[in-house]
Amino acid sequence: MEAHSSQSIASLQYADPQVDELLKHSIRTQLESLLKAKLTTGQRQLLLQKSFVDAMTLVLSNTQVEHLQLVYAFEAMYDQAVQSMALAQLSQEQLTRQYVSASGLIMSPHNCKHTIKDVYRIKGYARGIDLAIQSKLKHASSITILYPACGPFAPLLLPLLSYYKDSQIFTSKQINVILVDVHPGAILSLQQLVKDLQLDDFILRIEAADATEYEPAESIDLLVLEAMQHGFTKEGQLSIAKHLVQFLTLDGWMIPQNVSVRGMLVIGETEFNQQWKEVEYSHSLNTNTSAQQDRVELGEILNINKSTLLNMQELELQDGVKVIPASKIKLPTGVKDMGERILAIYAHIDTFADEGVEQYDSGVTHPRPDMTFYIDAKPRDVEHTHFVASSGDMVQFYYQLSGLPGFVPVKL
Amino acid sequence: MQKFAVFTGSCQSLPVVQYLLQTNQLACVVLVDTQQNYDLMQLQHWLQQSAIETLTYKCSDDKGLIAQLDRLAVNRGLIYLFRHKIRPALIQYFSGHLVNIHPSPLPDYRGPFPLYWQLRNGENTTALTLHQVTESVDCGNIAADVEIEIHPFDTMNCVQYKVAQALPRLVEKFCQLDEKQEIKWRNQEGNGSKSAPQVEQQQLIVNWHKQTSKQVVNMARAGNVDSGCALFQFRSEAFQLLQASVVDSALTGVQAGMVIEVDRQNGLVIKTVDGALRLDIIGTQQGVFDGYRFAVLFGLEAGLSLVQKDF
Ligand SMILES: C[S@@+](CC[C@H](N)C(=O)[O-])C[C@H]1O[C@@H](n2cnc3c(N)ncnc32)[C@H](O)[C@@H]1O
Repeated sequence: MEAHSSQSIASLQYADPQVDELLKHSIRTQLESLLKAKLTTGQRQLLLQKSFVDAMTLVLSNTQVEHLQLVYAFEAMYDQAVQSMALAQLSQEQLTRQYVSASGLIMSPHNCKHTIKDVYRIKGYARGIDLAIQSKLKHASSITILYPACGPFAPLLLPLLSYYKDSQIFTSKQINVILVDVHPGAILSLQQLVKDLQLDDFILRIEAADATEYEPAESIDLLVLEAMQHGFTKEGQLSIAKHLVQFLTLDGWMIPQNVSVRGMLVIGETEFNQQWKEVEYSHSLNTNTSAQQDRVELGEILNINKSTLLNMQELELQDGVKVIPASKIKLPTGVKDMGERILAIYAHIDTFADEGVEQYDSGVTHPRPDMTFYIDAKPRDVEHTHFVASSGDMVQFYYQLSGLPGFVPVKL
Repeated sequence: MQKFAVFTGSCQSLPVVQYLLQTNQLACVVLVDTQQNYDLMQLQHWLQQSAIETLTYKCSDDKGLIAQLDRLAVNRGLIYLFRHKIRPALIQYFSGHLVNIHPSPLPDYRGPFPLYWQLRNGENTTALTLHQVTESVDCGNIAADVEIEIHPFDTMNCVQYKVAQALPRLVEKFCQLDEKQEIKWRNQEGNGSKSAPQVEQQQLIVNWHKQTSKQVVNMARAGNVDSGCALFQFRSEAFQLLQASVVDSALTGVQAGMVIEVDRQNGLVIKTVDGALRLDIIGTQQGVFDGYRFAVLFGLEAGLSLVQKDF
């Protein structure tokens, strides 16, 4: 009796989170509005669910939606999600720990929390995942989705599941999700968010594990993965994908279905500055024709999809560093301003069907200049480990899997 | 009867002065007439209070000084922390009885910054060496020395204190030998393999490409807290590194200078050429912080490099 009555009081309680100072500092406005509104837990959960459903309604709509409308909808989602994070009562240590693991950077929940505002990445993924789920559920009564390295908010899936639940398009009987993250802070936050979204029925498990080692007992129909940064560097996308594809069913899909990483030689000022002078926000639709024409494309350096992953040859170098060979590229000749150009690497993501994330749509597809790569020019200082080559040289690219992943060029 | 003139410019030589005073062997103290500093002023004050005769060392010539030494019948000279090259006239005046105390096991660490370089090189012992003054600096024959242990956590001030403690022992040893005419002067063998030159500004900046964890740890320790403070750069600003510790790391594929961890317990951890390093205490314009707080306040995150610019 005691327990029962105190529980029902608890569920009626107003939110009064004991939030760590650092989180409080960075989300003060959201907390203030939470406390000012004097919402009951139920009311807050409703607002949270609504913000997730609203954002997905816009994203999945086939009529054009204004950029700002999307931005506001995603900010509303963020404002609500961080309240759940606050209620999860992460310690300062759980909130801020960030480190480099053997296979890539593990970001702190404090830094990860912003990815839920990355409009066009989430849009490209959510629309693709939606199509893939629809397609799978045409032939199956239920599917299992694995979402490794999902971060504290699992933003590629939880909004979509909220939308399904709200619109009753799919039920929790049809969709079973396994969320995996190695960061204890992300796990705590996920548990609270899933509870607040009342999505427990859709979630098979929340696993605290390293995704490069995790072995699911079930076979997986959809593997949803986004663990990368610009230039396909730093995070362990490739190691995670390479390990987990083996758990996909024969006709299982990885989302993104294809990631194409490309290189180009650009004049930094034109590509990264002039091109964006007159546009409202950076997006593949807003690139500038003359800047695009000024690029010298090198073509694809690496292609990641289910079949390339299954065939990848991993090499171990003397110092224990693991690499995989990527493309061999002949540096173009006859480019008169070659000495002034810099190498920039960018990813093009096809999530599913025609959906995707193109260059400049998101931080993860933003071209990344490599200031250590010199063609027909001398490095400014000698101390560092620069790569120096000339027009016409053949360059073999390797992709380093260990430590902080990234490309390593070698002259042939 | 030995009558000593002590050449110095620092209170750190007080133990010697006191010892000679107590044993009735002190004639005077010779001070440099250069810029005043707090240390020198304190020394002057103390000498005045104790009614000790002080003479002035002129940077121009030694004539006046030699006359005064002669008047006081000074026949022994002892130099410690004097920082001025002694001219031949003065060396001749003492005819072999002018000695210098140098805080290193000579012939190693000749030069103006012996303790700094010994700490920086991670030596675990040093010595106070008493040797004859000759025209080439720190090269004369040795009469006596005492060994001093250096604790792995000792800073400059710690070893300076230990050295001050050992001083009277060394001087006593020397005086007794002198009295009994039993000094056995021994040659400095070779030129030593390590030196103690002036510290250049560039040498105070951590070079992540070259320095091992241990080297950075010792560099921070040697400069804590002194004008020789170790510095590291981040976003073209320089910060003082007051204390660092070696930590284990099996990470491969990460360049030296990369931040590999920011954590409340484990602190701020940087990859080095041979492992990893925790930056324990950092001095900034805004205050002194542990690595974790520094990282949070200054936006230094795991995955960022202290060497390369990040784009
Ligand atoms: C940028 S955040 C969230 C990314 C998320 N997929 C999104 O779309 O916003 C990255 C998360 O991936 C997790 N992570 C990175 N590498 C991992 C690995 N090898 N195993 C498990 N989790 C990993 C980190 O702990 C962090 O919570």
